[in-house]
Amino acid sequence: MSWLDAFVQWTGWLGLDYRFLLDAYERGSFVAGAWVTLQLCLCTMAGSLAVGVALAAALVSGRPWLAGPTRLFVEVTRNTPTLVQLYCAFLVLNMLISEVIGGANPFTPFAWVVIVISLHKGVFHAEALRAGIEAVPQVTLEAATSLGFSRRQRLWRVELPLAVRFALPSLVNNLIELVKMTALASAIAVGDITYASILIWTQRDNVLELMILILLFFGLLSFVVNCLGRGLEARLRMPGYGH
Amino acid sequence: MATELSLGSRAAPDRLRRHAGKILALAALLVWLAAGAPPREVFAPLWEWSPALLKGFALNILISLLAIGLGTLLGLAIGALNLSPLRLLRLPGWLWVQAFRNAPLLVLIYFTTYVFPFEIRVAGHYLPFPDWLKVTLGLALPASANVAEVFRGAVASIPATQWEAARSLGFGRGQILRAIILPQCCKRMLPPWMNLYAVITMGTALASLVGVHDLIDTAQIATNTVNRVGFTVLIYASVLGLFFAYCYPISRFTRYLERRHAFQ
Repeated sequence: MSWLDAFVQWTGWLGLDYRFLLDAYERGSFVAGAWVTLQLCLCTMAGSLAVGVALAAALVSGRPWLAGPTRLFVEVTRNTPTLVQLYCAFLVLNMLISEVIGGANPFTPFAWVVIVISLHKGVFHAEALRAGIEAVPQVTLEAATSLGFSRRQRLWRVELPLAVRFALPSLVNNLIELVKMTALASAIAVGDITYASILIWTQRDNVLELMILILLFFGLLSFVVNCLGRGLEARLRMPGYGH
Repeated sequence: MATELSLGSRAAPDRLRRHAGKILALAALLVWLAAGAPPREVFAPLWEWSPALLKGFALNILISLLAIGLGTLLGLAIGALNLSPLRLLRLPGWLWVQAFRNAPLLVLIYFTTYVFPFEIRVAGHYLPFPDWLKVTLGLALPASANVAEVFRGAVASIPATQWEAARSLGFGRGQILRAIILPQCCKRMLPPWMNLYAVITMGTALASLVGVHDLIDTAQIATNTVNRVGFTVLIYASVLGLFFAYCYPISRFTRYLERRHAFQ
């Protein structure tokens, strides 16, 4: 770990205190926090995309009993703070579930964060996908119908593939927002990178140094997501369709 | 909405059909209130706590207004830097925007809360620097970066032909900006700016995490004091409702502005 020593010495020379990196326990907890954040990101990305497709399908279903409540859910989710939603889920719903089934509550704080952020960002995905579905040309749909596609087949084989291409830039944007939002997990003591850092800086009082590390970490994650999104966009590009 | 009103009674059955869900929900609420006999021991503490909750929410709104005000001023200055033809001036603006747009709000709030001192020395006097003001700054930083981007987008959305036409009429760069481009930008910036305000308002909820006595902090104190299941459910529902009641009209108005702009 000589390069780590050199790094600590060099930053110490700049006036930054990174000595916690030399402590195996604190370094371990920081790396574990980064790993938890990564897991959170992957789980919520998959969850939010699934929720987004389901909500978008409900929104464009044309059935008022399905589209109406979905629209209500979308509006409430978009116009209330995520932290309050997280508290409503973790402090209220979790409490009610615990009361009903007793001590063995299967939902961990990690699961609640995944559920809440998936639902929250799923709503934004749904709005993007809905716009994409509405941008699918009417003639394409008529052609699909005349070829004997059922409503479900039409949604899965024609509307969604085209809608995804149209909505991809906003979906990638939402995913970057999602990565940033996972910092919220620290509010209910999930041991993500922010929470691990809080524990370290209450001991060592080196807030600025850890902030720089956290910001670099989130910047790197956003950058990776952005690059993957751009790559996917280029791969899926159909001449003459979409942006 | 205006057309509906002018149609008057003829549209009434149609309106009934369109709002069937809302009417049903209202009816269900009334039935619940009448028949379900809301337990007094749940609603009485809510009534008791409501002044404290409203005071907390007022602090949330104050923080959001100050943050968006500061952020707008700062953001316009940075946006102006970003428009400069000199790369040396554009670089700091670009860095600012990248840094504060890509950072999680919560991390920025922790940053301003823990890095800034709790009092500032001005001319021999110690001025307190309260936590809520630090949170305001923590929200103003990302707000400024976003305003700068909104500003840049608005200027870029003005067709390049207008620049060329103005230049051929003998306007200088500053004159074109002041007399032609910026007046048009104001209108275009309004919808995204209001969107940003709604986001910042929702971001004020994070203030409770650094110990500011805002709405959510008050709600938590209330639940711990009363310690009753029904009350906990009710108080978090009302916190959700308060934020919704404040942010939903903003988002509706934004959508209305966007639609009006799109048809022009």
